[in-house]
Amino acid sequence: MIDQLINIVSYGCIVVGLVFWLWGTWPLVGPRSVLYKLHTLSVADTLGSVAIVVGLLLKIPSEWPLLIMALIALAIWNTILGYVLAYCSTEEPND
Amino acid sequence: MNWILGPMLLILLIPIYESFQDEDIWQKMLAFASVSTKTSIMILVISVLRDDWMIGVVGVLVLSVGNASLMLLAQVLKRVNE
Repeated sequence: MIDQLINIVSYGCIVVGLVFWLWGTWPLVGPRSVLYKLHTLSVADTLGSVAIVVGLLLKIPSEWPLLIMALIALAIWNTILGYVLAYCSTEEPND
Repeated sequence: MNWILGPMLLILLIPIYESFQDEDIWQKMLAFASVSTKTSIMILVISVLRDDWMIGVVGVLVLSVGNASLMLLAQVLKRVNE
């Protein structure tokens, strides 16, 4: 019973992650501004990827060190990359 | 669990298409950042499916080094545009 529950929750996490991926990546093709796309993209890539990795963690707990490292790397690097891209892409007014 | 890779590949095509159809350099950088994160997650999924840690470590390295190099590139582009 518990195994079935864990299976359902892990597949649920993976599907939620894929939906986040699609939701966040879709506006990339549209004509919106860089910052708008960056927002949806960072939500999709960070949260979606974290949901997928948590789904994997529930499915195969034997690889937990690797997946925890991936979660930490994801949370740190994606956030900082989003900040750096936002900072670099906005034109600063000349004083 | 192999069914996960199909939709992942399809979703990965969106930023790849965006990167060659858009002229603005920052839109291209967004697309490449998205491609780098998504491919590293796909490498992780494959490593868990094959139960092979070495592929997983490569996935985490691609995630970290890929994003770090994109940050450096963004800084260089900012200096060049000034």
